[in-house]
Amino acid sequence: MTESGAQLFARLEARRCLKDIEPRLFPEDGGPNHGEVVELYGTEGTGKTELLYHLLCRCVLPVATGGLEVDVVFVDTDYSLDMLRLVSILDSRLNAGRPTGSSAASSDEAALRSCLSRLLVVHCSSSSQLLLTLHFLETSLSSRPGLALLLIDSISAFYWLDRCEGGASIAKQEEKLSKCAELLGRLLRDYRITVFATCHAIRRSYSEPSSASTSECDRPYLCRRWQRLVSHRLLCSKQESANNMAASAGGSKEQRRQQVFTVHCTSSSSSRTKAHRSSSFYVTDGGVEFI
Amino acid sequence: MAGLSEGMCPGLDEVLLRSLRAADVKTVEDLVSSDIEELARKCSVSYKALFAIRRVLLAQHTAFPVSGADLYEELLSSTAIISTGNPSLDKVLDSGLYTGEITELSGGPGSGKSQVCFGVAVHISYQLKQSVIFIDTTGGLTARRLLQMLQTETSNTEEQMEALQRIHIFRLFDVYSLLDCLHSLRSGRLQQASVGGGSVKAVIVDSVSAVIAPLLGGKQNEGMSLMIQVAGTLKTMAKDFNVAALVTNHVTRSGSGEVQPGLGVSWSHIPRTRVLLEQVEKALVSQSTLRSATLIKSSRQPCHIKEVFDLQWWSRSKEGSSGKRKLDETDS
Repeated sequence: MTESGAQLFARLEARRCLKDIEPRLFPEDGGPNHGEVVELYGTEGTGKTELLYHLLCRCVLPVATGGLEVDVVFVDTDYSLDMLRLVSILDSRLNAGRPTGSSAASSDEAALRSCLSRLLVVHCSSSSQLLLTLHFLETSLSSRPGLALLLIDSISAFYWLDRCEGGASIAKQEEKLSKCAELLGRLLRDYRITVFATCHAIRRSYSEPSSASTSECDRPYLCRRWQRLVSHRLLCSKQESANNMAASAGGSKEQRRQQVFTVHCTSSSSSRTKAHRSSSFYVTDGGVEFI
Repeated sequence: MAGLSEGMCPGLDEVLLRSLRAADVKTVEDLVSSDIEELARKCSVSYKALFAIRRVLLAQHTAFPVSGADLYEELLSSTAIISTGNPSLDKVLDSGLYTGEITELSGGPGSGKSQVCFGVAVHISYQLKQSVIFIDTTGGLTARRLLQMLQTETSNTEEQMEALQRIHIFRLFDVYSLLDCLHSLRSGRLQQASVGGGSVKAVIVDSVSAVIAPLLGGKQNEGMSLMIQVAGTLKTMAKDFNVAALVTNHVTRSGSGEVQPGLGVSWSHIPRTRVLLEQVEKALVSQSTLRSATLIKSSRQPCHIKEVFDLQWWSRSKEGSSGKRKLDETDS
């Protein structure tokens, strides 16, 4: 396929590497490099979406407030993007980075608008539409060299629909997601972007989760082509929190039970051996706070 | 999966279609994913023409990306928070039902889910003067109960009738009719219902688990697929028409014995906000109307906020007379 000089330059020019997007999540020097895929896996209420907002904010915020100033495409497959929550996190991060009492409301607005203009949101309602949208995004990728991150929430949204449509043959069931994964692989190689995707768990664990082993319910269930693409897997879970005694120091009436979430990262990219890292965080009004 | 057909876009005529089919390109996805140069050679058509067709089809069938700033502006102007009419319940829900989202109420039998739905419907139709779509799958809705609740709001029969007219009721008992109903609402009936008295602000489905739970389990995937289709249609309707979707769900016991909402793990990702209703344990009167609402999933508030509220709130006498009203037994 022929491409113009400008397109070639845009494609090969180094997009911002996202290795340092969140060093507390990934193992030592093991952040997602160019062309790598990170999968966030967990049941409902384990903080995946909050983590996604945290990473999104880190990407779109200006460098002065601790961001990376890159463009992000958010592919929303199940209408789970809560813009109001995202904006409240962005607001609190912008305010935290600014010295007190210095700016008027208008510059707040302008800063927020410029952050949000780096975000592109696409809604998909079926895996065929997802495939076509990824093809369409190829043109956006070639015209926007600042676009370094593709967020998919969630890649498993059409799992049951595809399984039913595919009938009895497993190959047919996995066909559409396989094609999407193949296309994603090509986009990753050609344009050197990074992809973060959430995957909902479909089985509940009934046993006590032990720290290092992966139980029955955490096994990946999407098609093989997708599993081969994934180089970092973040297993999110909720910790059974004991009553936070520190919060009730001094006999305050409100005993806040801070729900602690844990993330277990398994990195298995080709250049390194498998590495692991566990981290915990809790969720505040201003977003994710690591412990 | 859209199949290629004649006239879909300029340049896609019968001849080209036949040669494409011979090259095993039958759907839009096949055309878009295939190598255009090779395909042009196989079908002996110019590369430029095929490329142009691909571009038009792509533009027709893909979702269009929206900038975050525009999306936020649009949300600010269109999202509304609809109060449920009960201040304790509103506190749990962060001031009410948000439009564009699905809110789920789960609870065991007798926990008051249907009563809350009736109360919300009456509040929206009488106090807010907006229309409500009520999809009843259990047969528990009677107009007499709604009228009873309205009679405590006002004694003017004309106002009562007007408010009742703003509640549109659909009675269905299986998932296919539910899907049909939701599709027909999306393609026009919602606008029809808005004519003559307030736009539709809420779609209440009581209960969604009654039609889906019988299909789950076993080795068939069709039940799960239907559940996801219902969820998808509800969400798109909520987003496109700016309505608040309220659904009810039953409960089951988890492995460790605690109560959890039904319909499984795959459904748990669907609603944006989930509230669990329970009877209040330490009720002194056996037929107490107090219920507790616990927030079990929310993107805005910390979970496990609990509030106790009175089911009689929506039928309390508002015209200053003393004494509690007794909840009548539901008609058989």
